[in-house]
Amino acid sequence: MIHIPSAVILLFAAPLAALAVGFFVTRPYKPEWTHIPVLLSCAVVCACAAYLAAFVYSGRGLDGTLFRWMVAGDWDVPFGVRIDGIGVSVLAMVSLVGALIHLYAVGYMKGDPGFARFFLLFHLFYLSMIGLLISNNYVQLYLFWELVGVCSYFLIGFWMHKPAARRAALQAFLTLRVADLGLMLAVLILMGLYRNTRFAALYAVAGGIPTGVLALLGVLFVWAAAGKSALFPLYFWLPDAMEGPSPVSALMHAATMVTAGIFLLVRSWPLICVVPGLPEFIAVVGAVTAILAAVLASTQTDLKRILAYSTVSHLGLMAFGLGLGQVTAGVFHLVTHGFFKAVLFLCAGILAHAAGKSTVSVSEVGGLRRKMPLTFLCFLVAALSLGGFPLTAGFYSKDAILDAAFAHGGWAAAAGLAIAAGSAFYISRMLFLTFFGSRPEQKPIEHPHEAPPVMIVPVLFLSAGAVSVGWLGRGLARMLGSGWPKSVPAPALEGPTSVVSSAGLAAAALGAAGAYWLTMLRPSWDWQWRRRRPGLEALFFDDLGWRRVPVACVTAAVWFADKVGRVLDRDCWDAAIEGSTGVCRRVSEAGSRLATGSLSDSLWWVMIGAAALLAWAALR
Amino acid sequence: MSAVVWAVSGMLFLLGLAAVVLRRQLLAMFLGLELMVVAAALALGHEAGRAGLAEGLVAVLLVLAVAAAEAVVGLTLVLRVHWSGRPTEADALRELRG
Repeated sequence: MIHIPSAVILLFAAPLAALAVGFFVTRPYKPEWTHIPVLLSCAVVCACAAYLAAFVYSGRGLDGTLFRWMVAGDWDVPFGVRIDGIGVSVLAMVSLVGALIHLYAVGYMKGDPGFARFFLLFHLFYLSMIGLLISNNYVQLYLFWELVGVCSYFLIGFWMHKPAARRAALQAFLTLRVADLGLMLAVLILMGLYRNTRFAALYAVAGGIPTGVLALLGVLFVWAAAGKSALFPLYFWLPDAMEGPSPVSALMHAATMVTAGIFLLVRSWPLICVVPGLPEFIAVVGAVTAILAAVLASTQTDLKRILAYSTVSHLGLMAFGLGLGQVTAGVFHLVTHGFFKAVLFLCAGILAHAAGKSTVSVSEVGGLRRKMPLTFLCFLVAALSLGGFPLTAGFYSKDAILDAAFAHGGWAAAAGLAIAAGSAFYISRMLFLTFFGSRPEQKPIEHPHEAPPVMIVPVLFLSAGAVSVGWLGRGLARMLGSGWPKSVPAPALEGPTSVVSSAGLAAAALGAAGAYWLTMLRPSWDWQWRRRRPGLEALFFDDLGWRRVPVACVTAAVWFADKVGRVLDRDCWDAAIEGSTGVCRRVSEAGSRLATGSLSDSLWWVMIGAAALLAWAALR
Repeated sequence: MSAVVWAVSGMLFLLGLAAVVLRRQLLAMFLGLELMVVAAALALGHEAGRAGLAEGLVAVLLVLAVAAAEAVVGLTLVLRVHWSGRPTEADALRELRG
């Protein structure tokens, strides 16, 4: 029995206690106080995460079982914790960003009739993600993975009186069902073949697993991650998930939801990286996602949708970095992205809050930098970070990925530069359209007001993070080394070469300059092309037609199920059942013909029976 | 001796059976039934006498008594059918009701 630090226990105990108090005490009696136990729990979780980060940074690690969860004969699933570099580095980001978003939500959700429900679900979401990050086996990871999914369903559809919210929640949930099937199959295969899904055990035998099995597992993991992390074939649910409250979007995009898929890939990396070709496949998927989403983000008009496509793009970038073999760069970008994307979403939430709506489009803003200076400052910092401005967090992490892309060369380098330019373009466009101007087409929010301190202070802290976490890259690389299997190349993070940095910077500058030209020098251009080419706008809003593909797939599946159901059910199954009654009737009719009721007929039968009995007695 | 008795008994039995199965008139069938019973009683009485078993002879007397009682019941039934106005033929009586 190994010693489990109490910080690990508290990671589960504090949120569970807060949820219990919130559900049984404050929700029925004092719903407007529900945030108090939840915020206390957030503080405890942050402290524990900081302690564990130091624990891992000092080279220690932990992989232990808390209790046997499912037991059947000599087979069991342990419920355990794995405190290692990957889990804790993401955990530190998730707990801090998540806690600050909780604080922001206190202001944002104030006065909402579902205040208590919101905080309980929000905290369960947070708890699920924490559990996912420190699971030590795939079954447990799958449990928390599904908990994250179901919490996202409830939170996207939080305002269930809106039909669009209900639809978006259902779409997200069903898309994730399709994707999660991959993870479930992978877990079942692992359980069937190895009776054990602990990461430590699987890392140890990774080299001995047949390549075919590993390839299948890898593809299933990528499929599951593509659903959760909104990568190319299955990304479409994420932009529609903007129907929830802004803190939900921020938490989902920055900390809890979409990072889970990338995290799954990193967790499974020792299994994935030994399959020839699979990392390159992940890189291609990531690059396609990143470029497509960057194009789409540049054409959206709704502020939260722009940010949603930007998240898709950056998740693609993380997968791209991972696929090029740079695990550290991928995780590094995951962490920095968490900070700056949270700021961007919370700023969009402040604008929506000022407008009194759940979201605003670019036509309802413009020239807000004087009226909302703090929001502008935070947004500017996060946008610079996202665009890769030197010394900000995004600069370091994106350069680490670009470095890997240049080392790979060829298409990867071109894709990396295209992503850098695209990111800078769409975020600059959003910045200029929102805070500069205003243009004749824009009708800015009436009487915009700066958010209350409870909302703006967490955003300021997160902005500080969006600038500074990039400086921790080497520390992160050191943390990631803890608990990383020896057989896999150890994660390292060298500073990018000056060539890579300057190329990335030039691409970003080009993107920003393009955005400046199109939004500041030709202020009405964004409205003009939409008016002149409504078909083109419709094409972009349709995701270049990709949005039709899943719809067509679902329609085809429904058609197929209908056909199969009808043919099988009506023409085979029902026919068999109804036919069987006919057979029974005919048999009994034939039998009843024997029973004429005539005495002489009966006597014949008696005679035949007696003769048969006699013959049997004689022959025996 | 024994063979003669068995042959007579068997012949009587088959005659009775033939009457029961082939004839349609209730009275004739009833007659055949009585013949079968008597044939069986004849064989039983012969064998019991040969073996010197009093129980067998007693059983023959019992069978004859039962046959007499049965004749009373059977003839009454046939008469009831006759009085109800229906032909006393087996094929006319297909249902128990009425």
